[in-house]
Amino acid sequence: MEKFLLLIRENIQAQLGKADEAFEDGIQEMTKWVEELAESGNYISGEPLQPTGKYVSKDYVLSDGPFIEAKEAISGYLFIQAQNLNQAASIAQSCPEVINGNIFIEVRPIISLDND
Amino acid sequence: MIETVELVQQEVNRLYKSHYGKMVSSLLYFSQSIDLESAEDLVQDAFTSAITNWRENGIPDNPGGWIFKVCRNKALNKIKQGEKVRGFFENEDFDAVETKRSESPIDDQQLKLLFACAHPDFSPKVQVVITLKYVTNLKVEAIAKILAMTIDGVDKLLLRARQKIRDEKILFTEPDLHFLKYRIAIVHKIIYLIFNEGYKSSWGKEIIREELCEDALLMNKALLESGVGNKETAALQAMMLFNAARFKARFGTEGELLDLEEQDRSLWNKELIMYASKFLSQSQGGEISSYHYEAAIAYLHCSAKNFKSTDWASISKLYHQLLENNPNPFVEMNYAIALYYAGQKKKAIDILNLLQQKPFLHQYYLLNAALGKINLLEGNYTKARGYFQKTLNQTDSPAEKEYIQKLMDGME
Repeated sequence: MEKFLLLIRENIQAQLGKADEAFEDGIQEMTKWVEELAESGNYISGEPLQPTGKYVSKDYVLSDGPFIEAKEAISGYLFIQAQNLNQAASIAQSCPEVINGNIFIEVRPIISLDND
Repeated sequence: MIETVELVQQEVNRLYKSHYGKMVSSLLYFSQSIDLESAEDLVQDAFTSAITNWRENGIPDNPGGWIFKVCRNKALNKIKQGEKVRGFFENEDFDAVETKRSESPIDDQQLKLLFACAHPDFSPKVQVVITLKYVTNLKVEAIAKILAMTIDGVDKLLLRARQKIRDEKILFTEPDLHFLKYRIAIVHKIIYLIFNEGYKSSWGKEIIREELCEDALLMNKALLESGVGNKETAALQAMMLFNAARFKARFGTEGELLDLEEQDRSLWNKELIMYASKFLSQSQGGEISSYHYEAAIAYLHCSAKNFKSTDWASISKLYHQLLENNPNPFVEMNYAIALYYAGQKKKAIDILNLLQQKPFLHQYYLLNAALGKINLLEGNYTKARGYFQKTLNQTDSPAEKEYIQKLMDGME
């Protein structure tokens, strides 16, 4: 099995404007999905991210970052294991929040340093 | 007349359940120009013709062969004249299939289909859906119900899968031996997931659930008998049989959910438990897989005379070992519960509280249910009530809601 980072991208402004109930429903669906991934042995870990933070470059530090104004920003991540990139993508595609069109997922293989 | 209609419907349902996937894959093999969707349409048409024709003329002697022939004729009409076709019935001896049916309902062709469904590019969910569709031959409506998906959701998922199945000729090329070895772990996982779907208590006492568990057991048994299976297959079989032995005792006379402590252990199927033990010993001597640990845990539950005398210390050790190779917060919860009953209460509660702080887990109804139950046992009724209230908000299952409500009422 190879390891993958699933970066969850969404329109954070839209997310903040959502009614609490819709937000809760989204979390419930994600929890169910994560439970499925754990059952199939693909889930390793994952966490949501605060919509604010700091953006650092050579010359400046931006508080709040561009995240909150950005059309799309990373709102969380999942760390999973899968057979290959195609399977990891297929897993991401099965996320209910992706199906509902609320989020995008970027699937990135982790570079493996061991030689097996 | 009404009788004939019913008999025809029964026969058609039976054939659908045993032959649908095989017919589809035969059509794909028959001609290169038939894609999966048209193959499925053709088979569907042939079944519809069977219903009309058999009501008029009665059920033929070889009903499976009849439908196959109709499929082939429909296919011949569809493909271009003069196009090269491959043999259709070459591997299909219908009489043989019919007589063999009672012994082993899953034949080699279905086993091949199962390995085809275990394509490593599909997510486990897709693998489960296409296995239910093409190996256990369930209709989309039934799959949607079983997996708590919408019919539209299953259709969309199948649509995407079909594209890949067609592009990569997944259903109708035989995986070679090299693949079989590599894919068997995926096949085990598919069978495991299908069994679990059938076993989930949230559904109550539905017949379709029990049939799903049976399907999983039959597929795994076919795997063992074909010689492709290994020690892990045996461990998986043992695990499923130990759990299946307890299937009926999990619900009371009114269909209400009973927890392990309340179950009438005399209802546990002793023959199945013995049968399972055979597979457990058969599974020894190789590498120890997660199925081995799960089978051993199920064995310890089955061999305990009552809830109190259960060997919770060994069960918690097994969970601990299971977690070492497969870290999984959901399994960790079961580990903590076993620790609690083994007397290591503080450690158990600490683990559960830590889990509660993890993302996703704090929204997980079973974790809140477990925290509620343990607080109840510890006499912290206010806390218990809070967790149970959360659980009630997090599950949609009437059986589970009723069970939680019963625990809450008990505290009054």
